[in-house]
Amino acid sequence: MAPIVLEGESLTQRFGGLVAMAEVDFHLKRGEILGIIGPNGAGKSTLLNIISGIYVPSSGEVRLEGRRINGVAPHQIVKRGIARTFQSSRLFGDLSVLDNVIIGRHIHTRSGVLDAIFRRRRAEAELAEAAAHAEGLLKAVSRGLYDQRHRAAAELPQADRRRLEIARALASDPKVLLLDEPSSGMDDADTDALMDDIRAVCAARPDLSLMIIEHDMRLVAALPHRVIVLDYGQKLADGPFEEVRLIPRVQEAYLGRRGASHAQG
Amino acid sequence: MTDLVAQQILNWLTLGSIYALVAVGFSLLFGVLNIIHFSHGDVSLMSPFLALGLVQALGAGAGGISSPAAMVAFAIVAIALTGLLGVLLDILIIQRFRTAPAMMALVATVALGIVLRELIRHLFPNGSNPHAFPRLVTGDAMLFGFRVPAFNATAILVAIVAVSLLFLMLNRTRLGLHIRAVSLDRDAARLMAINPGRVFRATFFIASAIGAIGGLFFSSYAGMVRFDFSIDIGLIGFSAAVVGGLGSMPGAIIGSLLISGLDTLVQATVPNGASYRLVFVFLLVIGVLVFKPAGLLGRTVTEKV
Amino acid sequence: MAHASAPPPARPLGGLLIVALVEIVGAAALREFLLAEDWRWVLVLLAAFGAVLVALERRPALEARIAEAFARHRRAATLLGIAIALVFPFVLEKSSYALHLCVIAQLYAVLALALNFQLGSANIPNFATGASYGIGAYASALLALNFEVSFWLALPAAAVVATIFGFLLGLPSMRTKDSYLALVTIAFGVVIHQLLNNLEVTGGPNGLVGIPAPELFGHSFASPLAVLGYELPSQANFYYLSAVLVLIAIVFAGRLHDSRVGLAWNALRADELAARCQGINTTWYKVLAFAVDAFLAGFAGTVYAFYVGFISPDNFTFLVSVTIMTMVIAGGMDNILGVIVGAVLLTLLPEKLRAFSDYRILFFGVTVIAFLMIRPQGIFPQRLRRYGG
Repeated sequence: MAPIVLEGESLTQRFGGLVAMAEVDFHLKRGEILGIIGPNGAGKSTLLNIISGIYVPSSGEVRLEGRRINGVAPHQIVKRGIARTFQSSRLFGDLSVLDNVIIGRHIHTRSGVLDAIFRRRRAEAELAEAAAHAEGLLKAVSRGLYDQRHRAAAELPQADRRRLEIARALASDPKVLLLDEPSSGMDDADTDALMDDIRAVCAARPDLSLMIIEHDMRLVAALPHRVIVLDYGQKLADGPFEEVRLIPRVQEAYLGRRGASHAQG
Repeated sequence: MTDLVAQQILNWLTLGSIYALVAVGFSLLFGVLNIIHFSHGDVSLMSPFLALGLVQALGAGAGGISSPAAMVAFAIVAIALTGLLGVLLDILIIQRFRTAPAMMALVATVALGIVLRELIRHLFPNGSNPHAFPRLVTGDAMLFGFRVPAFNATAILVAIVAVSLLFLMLNRTRLGLHIRAVSLDRDAARLMAINPGRVFRATFFIASAIGAIGGLFFSSYAGMVRFDFSIDIGLIGFSAAVVGGLGSMPGAIIGSLLISGLDTLVQATVPNGASYRLVFVFLLVIGVLVFKPAGLLGRTVTEKV
Repeated sequence: MAHASAPPPARPLGGLLIVALVEIVGAAALREFLLAEDWRWVLVLLAAFGAVLVALERRPALEARIAEAFARHRRAATLLGIAIALVFPFVLEKSSYALHLCVIAQLYAVLALALNFQLGSANIPNFATGASYGIGAYASALLALNFEVSFWLALPAAAVVATIFGFLLGLPSMRTKDSYLALVTIAFGVVIHQLLNNLEVTGGPNGLVGIPAPELFGHSFASPLAVLGYELPSQANFYYLSAVLVLIAIVFAGRLHDSRVGLAWNALRADELAARCQGINTTWYKVLAFAVDAFLAGFAGTVYAFYVGFISPDNFTFLVSVTIMTMVIAGGMDNILGVIVGAVLLTLLPEKLRAFSDYRILFFGVTVIAFLMIRPQGIFPQRLRRYGG
């Protein structure tokens, strides 16, 4: 039985009068892939934002390997070992693909202003090492991305942007990787390729734990070992997808309304 | 002693009213455009120059500066022209920056303010020098049961009326509804068949015209006007809006009263206070921003991720 | 490091030739510009400069060839550049006015490079560079006048004082951003100006007079500079001094740009939240940008104070900050060469087009708006970094 890496206990998030998340518990084991599903506005992104330190929960606790991390600043949380991607890809658009990944290695480099100016050789060597590492990472995540490493990130096609987000997040060598709707805006072929990429990433890092927010049911059925269903900021169910999807409340709350939203769209 | 205190309170309220006339424009424009229109102070201070220009061009025929009625008429025309100037600047320049990064709009409008000041300096006859500006209203009046100079009473009352009308307009009219809709969500408003361009232009007209009233009273209060007075009133009006919380009308008024209060207090109590007043005012601004980054009544916006 | 792009055929001589040609023609054009007295000639030179830029823009291959030559022969390009800078005062026909313009342009180049750390690299609107410049000038002048501290000691001391103020100014940036932060910097600039204008120590509106010229090995910077029997006007002393300062600023800017710090600033510029989620302590990097800006500006201020010998609050107003900002925006944000070209052009233009000089502030305002509307990337746009190239 793999140990628990990340856990949340009765997490509640209020924005003024609005309760975005109420008393949610969750846990994530080492090497596990956990899917977070639920209709729009169910609190999925809120959960990710709490874990990555962007929101401070109104009550409850998040622990990484037993250490409390709520209230810790986002940049410190990255240092503790949690990296994330964003739903609307937030790359550094005017920098090269390679620079994006090198910035992802920020916490593994040290040079400050004085080093850069007065100990240039050391600073340069450190950055060259980060660049080499980043190139290796790009190659491993996607050959096509590696070939485009000197292009500006903003010029990449949608699917490559998602891959780059993942590569950038991996650059910090995280223990936990949070993916916020990695397949949004992708067609089926791209999604299949993305799933292969994610499988390859996990295969190369057996200890990496993943939390994925997803809408694409094919991905949810195939990748996660376990899913959590959120609705109105509360946890409806927690278990393997095949079991969870049979629970009537889940079908009604999630799949039913999801069908309705398809009809509208 | 009480006379002195009463005098200071009157100064405070007058100055606060004048600042508020400029500050509400900053706040209104920010609420709708989501960018800082830094040159709003400079637009506002166009009005006294427009009024003086009208006096020089037409004054002789209408009885000259000596005729208060003519001066008030010119002032009203100047207010309307300043409103139109605001619209014109939006069409020519500011609208290009609607979707640009916030910093570009900020720098561009700072530069625009400089351009406006310099245009006055070069185009207005004797533009570098101060120009006498008459008291728009003379004599005494009764205000809240006190006998006060009519000018101060008018400034305070006009500010109250203008701001009240702005409130009513925002909350009771169709245009106000559209303005509030665009400031909440520009794209959603567009889906509701609201033309944001029209709303922006209307907002620019209203904000610039109200600012123009402030500019006229400011010059009238000082008894003169110079091309670079707008730095003073622009920065203070902007500061008042920021201290109160950008986008909040009550905030702009509270900010104006707070800043004018400190301004009056420093001038009255600190030796050589007049030279240090801006130091105190801006230390207050920095202090408020450090402890309440969104201003006193501003809402902290949580970035959507 | 291996590169996917095949290296172009090595043409070392061709490359060296390109480097030499670009630098010498550039210096010759600058000389003509400095010595030009007829405004028509000035316009011809400007038109030629514009034509070159358009040609480079139209023919990216040409630009790439030049960039590649400079990248390949970096050492030679640097050495030749330094040599040209050393010789330059000797070809100015002993014109003290031309030398004076060079000194001022170089000081503005340093200030623009200082601001570029914030405006260009990190996208922080700082309207207080002029204030930091003033703090440096006043700090060094006060040290020299009251404690007879020599220029060479006052220089680092003033830079430290300016840096401390820079940190102080940066502190509010922990909590505020965008328009609010811009207001804080404007307010800071006004507060400093008002204090300088009113305090007794700083001499009030009259400022400080009689700042002694620096001395080096018994040679006073106020006296003409004789080299091998050739006598240069006294401004040449400060020409070389400010040239060294520009060199230092370029080294600082280049090293920081190509470092982890420069990358973190760029990340901050592109997307602050995403930067935080890469482990970047954005608050610290913002404060750092303020400090580095103030440090260099303090340096420039000291040289200015000892150069003119007399400073007053009006040398360090909000308009000075806006002027520096104009140089950065017009030259090209986050591009070292661009920022320097912007500083030199915008210092010299109002001086050279005399009819213009009355309208210089108007001209700066229009320039900023025009660039932001038509070409926000400036004359020389920022370039992507290359590694191991």
